[in-house]
Amino acid sequence: MNARNRRSAAAIVLALLLLLIAPRFLERGTLNDLWSIAFAIVLASAWNILGGFAGQISIGYSAFLGIGAYTTALLSLKGVGPYWTLPLGALLGAAFSYVVGLPTFRLRGPYFTIATIGVSEAVRVYAAGVSYTGGSSGLRMPPGTFDFGRDYAAMMILAAAVVLLSLWIRSSPFGKALFAIRQDIDAAEALGIHSTRVKLVAHAVSAAIVALAGGLFAINFQYISPGSVFDFRLSLSIVLMPIVGGIGTVAGPILGAIIFSYLQIKLLSTPALRDSYLFLYGGLLMVVMLFEPRGLVGAWQRLQGLVRPPMRKAMPRA
Amino acid sequence: MSLLAAEGIHSFYGDVQALWDVSFEVDAGEIVTLIGANGAGKSTLLKTVAGLLAPRRGRVVLDGRDVAGEPAYRLVERGLVLIPEARQLWPTMTVRENLEMGAYSRAARPERAKSLERVLAMFPVLEKRARQNAGTLSGGEQQMCAIGRGLMARPRILLLDEPALGLAPKLVREVFAALKEIRAAGVTLLLVEQNVPHALALADRAYVLESGRVTRTGPCTELSRDPRVREEFLGIASI
Repeated sequence: MNARNRRSAAAIVLALLLLLIAPRFLERGTLNDLWSIAFAIVLASAWNILGGFAGQISIGYSAFLGIGAYTTALLSLKGVGPYWTLPLGALLGAAFSYVVGLPTFRLRGPYFTIATIGVSEAVRVYAAGVSYTGGSSGLRMPPGTFDFGRDYAAMMILAAAVVLLSLWIRSSPFGKALFAIRQDIDAAEALGIHSTRVKLVAHAVSAAIVALAGGLFAINFQYISPGSVFDFRLSLSIVLMPIVGGIGTVAGPILGAIIFSYLQIKLLSTPALRDSYLFLYGGLLMVVMLFEPRGLVGAWQRLQGLVRPPMRKAMPRA
Repeated sequence: MSLLAAEGIHSFYGDVQALWDVSFEVDAGEIVTLIGANGAGKSTLLKTVAGLLAPRRGRVVLDGRDVAGEPAYRLVERGLVLIPEARQLWPTMTVRENLEMGAYSRAARPERAKSLERVLAMFPVLEKRARQNAGTLSGGEQQMCAIGRGLMARPRILLLDEPALGLAPKLVREVFAALKEIRAAGVTLLLVEQNVPHALALADRAYVLESGRVTRTGPCTELSRDPRVREEFLGIASI
């Protein structure tokens, strides 16, 4: 890790410590909002490992969220302590990522993206159709599994861990291989990068993280259904957050997640605007695509460039 | 036994056939060049040999073993490295990162620091540009970086696809001088080049590709006297 990474890592650990002692000072409503923001950061940053660093756009991450949530709910109903179910959920999420990745990562073009939509919809229909998942009416967690303090702390730690992992990946040979694949896959392969395997690993890592978040989601909301955890709109939000914030950067998904969850919190508390958040997301996406495809991070760098004309680098670092 | 040979290669892009029954061989220590017009199938042949395109029929023999259809990353481990056309650097990674990624293969990674030193000694300009993004380099520098990145993989045989494409004459000479130096270091070269006079002057032997078929072959000294080659590729009308 270089100096810049060490500074960022220190800032993240400090933020985590502050967030962990926050429950002593803040009221429950605010803590709930913080939980939502951290949840969004986890999803956006995990997606960004494959979608941003390696440029493989998936619009099906709700599948992993749902797999994690259902694993936790089903096992908790069997009497397993909910936090003990998390590793298994992560493992299942990672395993399931191969179902989509294995047949499509070898192909060039939009096949992977298309397959992610199809597979995640198939999973949703399946979960709504079979009986052991409770069908479309979903599952309620067993009583006594709710402990907000614990779930809050777990989500904060997970969010910090994902961001630290992103920092580490960015400067590791593995991360460089991901960038190489995004920027020129032919060159990457010609120089010995096994692109299919690298993509599969990135997909599995991010899927496992999203499944973990799904488990924590089930614990926090105590009730899950195909309509909540396998929602296609959720998959879309997971893509939009990093794009608006700055795809392929570490800070971008965090920024995007904060903006999106803030918007959603505000809109949900205004009954007249309840259903308009997708409309707003769409608008935001269009603005970003038109004016700054590199997202808010790109806009920030451009601004810095205006303030400090002699830029050392003509292009942003990935 | 030749280091690398193609035997009766037929390659397709989807349903479109690009190579018909192409054979060639390269001995260790040689420089062999493939010449031909645009669309003759030169790049396709390199891609096929490097494992980026599987041939429908035929064998690619490396060290006496058929490797046709083996993926590129495995061939890189075996010492066969392709420097693709138009450089194909990773534009928002620095020059140094581009070079370091060249030594990604398991075989090359332990030697990375040493390889980097050698490459920077061969192309001092890359040392100066090491912290710059590769996308900001000039065309000539990008070509040096691409060749350097290929060398980082510790190839025994290096496949080059049009390394002089779009370069000013002075830079073309520099690139060809570098290739000579690389051969002197013991690397075998298979070169695809549109700049036929330079290619024939550098290489030992040449194959002429026309519409996906090998139409003639021989030592470069002989081919550069061949009236048809002279007329078609050297722009010299035979009297």
